[in-house]
Amino acid sequence: MEVSINGARILATFENVPIFGTVQITQTLAVAWLVMLIISALCIWLGSNLKVTGISRKQAVAEMIYTSLVNFVRGNMGPEFDRYIPLVGTIFVTSIISNLISLLGIWSPTADLMTELAWGLVVFVLITYHKIKASGIGGYLKGFLEPIFILLPINIMSECFTPVSMACRHFGNILSGTVISTLIYAALTAANSALFHVLGSNLYVGIVVAIAGGALIVLGRKRKKKLPFIVGIIAAVLGVLGVITTLGATFPWLTIGIPAIPSLYFDWFGGCIQAFIFCTLTTLFIKQAAGD
Amino acid sequence: MDTLYQSLVTVNPVTLIAQICNLFIQLLIVKIFFLDKIKAIIDQRREAADKQITEAETAKSEALAIKQTYEQNMQEAKAKADDLLMTAQRTANSRSEEIIAQAQQQAAQIKSKAAADIALEKKKAINEAKNEISDLAMAIAGKVVARELNAGDQADMIDRFIDELGDNV
Repeated sequence: MEVSINGARILATFENVPIFGTVQITQTLAVAWLVMLIISALCIWLGSNLKVTGISRKQAVAEMIYTSLVNFVRGNMGPEFDRYIPLVGTIFVTSIISNLISLLGIWSPTADLMTELAWGLVVFVLITYHKIKASGIGGYLKGFLEPIFILLPINIMSECFTPVSMACRHFGNILSGTVISTLIYAALTAANSALFHVLGSNLYVGIVVAIAGGALIVLGRKRKKKLPFIVGIIAAVLGVLGVITTLGATFPWLTIGIPAIPSLYFDWFGGCIQAFIFCTLTTLFIKQAAGD
Repeated sequence: MDTLYQSLVTVNPVTLIAQICNLFIQLLIVKIFFLDKIKAIIDQRREAADKQITEAETAKSEALAIKQTYEQNMQEAKAKADDLLMTAQRTANSRSEEIIAQAQQQAAQIKSKAAADIALEKKKAINEAKNEISDLAMAIAGKVVARELNAGDQADMIDRFIDELGDNV
């Protein structure tokens, strides 16, 4: 069986657009706009109906989000960088929603390097701005010659790779999650077809497995042992599914539920952690660039 | 129509530029519709809380002032009462002393008057006794003179005299 892992789907192609030439509208952009819509709706919902006294639960949550964001930025950068609160917050929420939207089976915009590179470039511009502001344009350029002028190319590279490394770290993690999810899904589909090729071959095979499973459940309950009980449940369910398959309803049963377990790590945990890391690096790099 | 895919890692300038624009649009939306509003409401709440605290502090200091005035008044009243009591006591003391002195004086007066009366009475009694005695002497003398010749009568007369004396005394 073949598994193909592709990038974003190209939804529309416009030829001969001025300046750009050929413009491809990809899934990345479409989903990014969907994510923007979701975030905007959330913002408008959370930001409406605010009261000074007798606040609602919704407002309490909104204030908690705001306070944690402010604490995060101030904790990493200090109070003089309050104007970066919106940027950090926006990158964080966009990243998290983009990462988690893959749970709904939708292409994740962060699985496209261009998304992270866009954020990384914005951060890079800010870093450079603060470096120049801190030591002047001369001091900034002179910094490339330190500690000795031979290191100039390495210094230039290290400067340019800051946004690239930030982008690639985030992108790589999300992409690997997508790839692993795809592989697990494919593997489960293959296992499914192999398993039900046997179980569904004959009506009696399914019935026997189901009955054996039922017997194991009863045994496990009587002896109060967990292992036969669990094995019994699995066997019974597989047996019943085998019978259903024999009767004509074919479906990749194994792909239900099971992929959710690795996705707990790769999508939920990985997605949240990468959003957090990206924002932490953003704040730290800008703070570092501005000097102490 | 075939479904077209990008390869896994592609540099697509249009997507890049669009994503940068998206980031800034999103930033504006988040800022205007969420952060600014929440910030404003939190500031308002803080202001209200500050105001309430200030008000509470003002009320507290006012209450303290009132308490102080009250305590001062109480102290003053107490001093006044003490003063009144002291004055009353002093007045009572002096008055009682006065009364006692008066009483003593009166008693002395009465005593001296009584003594004078007694002395007067005594004098009067003595005088009366003297008069009686002299009358008696006179009478005895008269009797003695009248009966001298008769010796028999003398004893008789003496008996009578004693009898009469007994009657008079």
